[in-house]
Amino acid sequence: MILKNTLKEVRQKKGFTQEELGTNVGVSRQTIISIERYRYKPSLELAMKIAKKLNIRIEKLFYFDLTLPANKD
Amino acid sequence: MPLSKKEISILIEIVFSIVFAFIFLPYFYENQYNNLILMDDIIGKIIEILIFTVIYFSVAYSLLEFFLKKKETKDERDDMINSKSYKLGYLLYEFSLFIFIGYVCSNFQNKELLNLTGNQELYNNFNLTDVGVVFLILMLLAFISIVKSLYQFYLYRTV
Repeated sequence: MILKNTLKEVRQKKGFTQEELGTNVGVSRQTIISIERYRYKPSLELAMKIAKKLNIRIEKLFYFDLTLPANKD
Repeated sequence: MPLSKKEISILIEIVFSIVFAFIFLPYFYENQYNNLILMDDIIGKIIEILIFTVIYFSVAYSLLEFFLKKKETKDERDDMINSKSYKLGYLLYEFSLFIFIGYVCSNFQNKELLNLTGNQELYNNFNLTDVGVVFLILMLLAFISIVKSLYQFYLYRTV
């Protein structure tokens, strides 16, 4: 299961830049970029702060990609 | 992607370790079998290293602050990257320490054996001096610092 997110889409929809969102939730722009690229999994605290700032439910923002790779066995 | 302030700071550390290895380590390497060198000379060299370190970092960070005025937030991603890179540094340090202790012990043992056999040339080759010990420690520290910083830089670029 891969933890994915809709952060980029939601952020753009709400009119925030990466820099602005980062400043609002107390992280750097690089951290927002890393989350959007699925390179970095944020802590629960940061995920909740982002969801609150974007005014969206956390499970709508972060979700598990349930499409598993084909089992080799 | 352009380099962030944190990434440039890491590059400053890497450059320092490399410059340190090229400027100061040769002195200890060249004098490790020099029996005439005094502890005062070693202390003098260490003071020289400390002064160089203070000046280097003061100048480097002042220039960095001058050219990149924007303040960067330290967040949980930084903590994660630092914890991973310092963990690697710590493991390397621990591993190197065991190798170092093993080397020193084998050195004394071989020295004793060679002393018994009376082979003066081999005896001299296993002669670990005070300066030799300082050289080994400084070399290990420089090596570990470079590896740790390179890994930190790699994480900043990929995570």
